[in-house]
Amino acid sequence: MSLVYAKNDWYAIAAADEMTLGQQRQTLLLGTPLTVTATDEGVVVRDDQGKTYPYQIKFDHVWTALGDAPRALFDIPEGDEPGRRCVPCGVVRVKCSPLRAVENFLDIAHFPFVHTDILGAEPHTEVEPYKVEIREEQDEVWATKVRFFQPKAAKSAGSGITTEYEYRVPAPTVAVLYKTCPPKPEAQDVIAIFVQPRGEEECDVWPWMALYDDESSFEELVQFQQEIFLQDRSILENQLPHRLPLDPKMEIPTRADMTSVAYRRWLKKRGALYGAMTEVA
Amino acid sequence: MPTEPIGLSRDLPAKRVMRTMVDGQDIAVWRSASGKIAAWANRCPHRGMRLSHGFVRGENLACLYHGWHYGAHGRCTYIPAHPELEPPATIMAQAFSVEERDGLIWVASDGTAEPRGLPGGLAPLRSLTFQTAKSEASEAFSSTPFEGNPPAVQSSDAGGIVLRVDVDSRTLNIAAALHEANQGETTAHLLVSDEATPAQKVSLSRWCEAVRRRAEAHVTTRGQENAA
Repeated sequence: MSLVYAKNDWYAIAAADEMTLGQQRQTLLLGTPLTVTATDEGVVVRDDQGKTYPYQIKFDHVWTALGDAPRALFDIPEGDEPGRRCVPCGVVRVKCSPLRAVENFLDIAHFPFVHTDILGAEPHTEVEPYKVEIREEQDEVWATKVRFFQPKAAKSAGSGITTEYEYRVPAPTVAVLYKTCPPKPEAQDVIAIFVQPRGEEECDVWPWMALYDDESSFEELVQFQQEIFLQDRSILENQLPHRLPLDPKMEIPTRADMTSVAYRRWLKKRGALYGAMTEVA
Repeated sequence: MPTEPIGLSRDLPAKRVMRTMVDGQDIAVWRSASGKIAAWANRCPHRGMRLSHGFVRGENLACLYHGWHYGAHGRCTYIPAHPELEPPATIMAQAFSVEERDGLIWVASDGTAEPRGLPGGLAPLRSLTFQTAKSEASEAFSSTPFEGNPPAVQSSDAGGIVLRVDVDSRTLNIAAALHEANQGETTAHLLVSDEATPAQKVSLSRWCEAVRRRAEAHVTTRGQENAA
């Protein structure tokens, strides 16, 4: 069953820097209300029946898993590289499937229309062929050699550039992108979203970045990312059905959607169906 | 299947898109630059985005998400991610039958739209949304006095009501085409004899607000009785 599968993944449920001693946060994960408390012995994650769950602090967030046999939490090694600034970007509540939020993050064709004059602009709408693969060893979806013209690719970008992207899906509700870093062309900025499924049709999205950017303030970086994500939310809350359809008959893809097609197949094959629909509505 | 009056033609000018519900179906209604009207399932076949959020480019409606264009009969005409590609004919927005008559836009959830007959010589007045069922709105139109006198009901059916009122020694027709887009939420699209003066239109418009207050008060009172 989809819930059993979902319970054995780890999810970000709080920003680590907000969980200072004595702080408490009420939240919802996979339909289960949770209380997250920072005590002098560490974080305690507890449900309404008093049952406690494991936690770990990674990528500036508190993670938990509700199942008895959680799969290992993936790594983002770039987060530990010296010189990078790790920036947790707060949280955005979205009334959509957690899987729709991830799929949108993997999509570049919407940039000129949804993030107009920031991540894209007409007439630069063409999506050139790129490469998509399932890396069986890590069991991850990867898209590489993704190129797109962007008027203002990052807070640190002065003018338009063709940005190179790589995308990685290390878990059903997590997506990581690597993109050309404007002030340091030999390196890549890392931007991720950690999606916390509150239910099948509602999620909290925790964006996180690991950047080479010494110029912009923390607030500016967060604001840039929040602005992008609020634009995405206006799309995500208006997709019908709210859950992600995995039957190819329900939504017609094109070549630009190869990442989305691979992601949907990968979810289906794994049985990661929480937030998905498998039959034609 | 029902044909519903979903709006006044004048409230949907060229290059605009609106959203409506007919018989439980989410529908985008839009008008092209040259004035052609179309009604489509409110869902882009690509990624399910509501087309009512889209934008009109010439004779096409473009989806807000990826800018896919849809033109005559709902056929996809352009995919910006692949500008050289001729979109396959199978990519279609689902089209509904739509007709404009007597200043109203009529949409059928199934089959061909069949607008109801209305008396001639009417001009649009306004649209007004009631937080009531259609029957309660209709009842309030016939029972709310206008300048002291109850209006004379000319005709009344499930789709609306035609009334006659006397104003300044003139007799005017008023038609209220009623559309219950969502259960318990009815929009009255109002038309009045085109000889009505601007001042008469203002007083009729105020009377329509009184009709709404009466209908909604009636619903509130009944709700309280049921609760008791």
